[in-house]
Amino acid sequence: MDCSYFRERINQYVDGEMDYMEVAELQAHLSFCPDCAAELAQVGEVRGALAAWGRLELAPPPGFAERVTAAVELEPALGAAKPFGQAVNETLQKLDDTLGRIPLPGGRTIPVKNVIGWGLAAAAVAIGLGRRHGRRSRELKPL
Amino acid sequence: MTASNLHKWASLPDPSPAELARAAEGDAQAFKLIVERYQGMVYSVAYNVLGNHTDAEDAAQEAFLRCYRKLPQFRSEATFSTWLFRLALTASVDYKRRERRHSEPVETPELAAEAAPQLGEGVDAATIVAALRDLPEDYRVPTVLRDVYGLPYQEIAEATGRPLGTVKVMVHRGRASLRLKLRAGGAGPEQGPAGARPRSDA
Repeated sequence: MDCSYFRERINQYVDGEMDYMEVAELQAHLSFCPDCAAELAQVGEVRGALAAWGRLELAPPPGFAERVTAAVELEPALGAAKPFGQAVNETLQKLDDTLGRIPLPGGRTIPVKNVIGWGLAAAAVAIGLGRRHGRRSRELKPL
Repeated sequence: MTASNLHKWASLPDPSPAELARAAEGDAQAFKLIVERYQGMVYSVAYNVLGNHTDAEDAAQEAFLRCYRKLPQFRSEATFSTWLFRLALTASVDYKRRERRHSEPVETPELAAEAAPQLGEGVDAATIVAALRDLPEDYRVPTVLRDVYGLPYQEIAEATGRPLGTVKVMVHRGRASLRLKLRAGGAGPEQGPAGARPRSDA
């Protein structure tokens, strides 16, 4: 009997990758083919032995935990390399917590940091315009 | 085959939230406690994937460093042990891919005197180590991931960077090779890995 068709499907069977009809077909073959049934049993034994092996725990070499800890201590401090956006957000949140919010009419509030930010932006614009005006004045001054 | 060994590792007691928080804040001593608790699991995974102690130690250390770096991002949707187990597997497979050009024959490790567990009829740890050692590397890693750790084929394909069909063929051939070796009673050393011992919950 040529069992190659079924032999090739034993792995699919043990992996649960066959549909109902394929399983029924293979099981029917196994019921009267001792060679294929033996191969299926052997594959099962291999998988069982490997799974049992995986449940063993190997002892790391002496001093392993100390070496790992030493390597960890050479790592940059956790949080030291936060993404820029995250660092900005956290700083703004801290400012909010520290400075609080200003109440507005209608029960709304506005963060103090926003007001400060707008103030700084306005000051920067004013300074820029002032410098530009001064430069133009010098350029227009007759020699 | 279900992911039986993943479930086994998942049954390890997790560090408390306070312990994890201290370690995530960079407390090296808190992290050392985690290393001491899980080093057996991480080292075993690395050894089984890589097959020798030198590479296993490097990969296990890399796994713990990745754990340290990613700890602030750990969320408790998975248990810590499952999360760390995945990190160990990934670090070991990455190590194997990276160091492929330096690949050397796996060692013949020593079996602890007190541990000679039977893994099946006439199969002991030394026989399994010898049979795995003799597998071609292309078969060894997928077979270990599939049948030692119960990973789905798709996940193995993604981890190893190989097509799904290729991974299945490698596992099938690995099993066939192991079947012949185990039937022959193992072809190698009388010794198994140093310090091999059954887990208490095994």
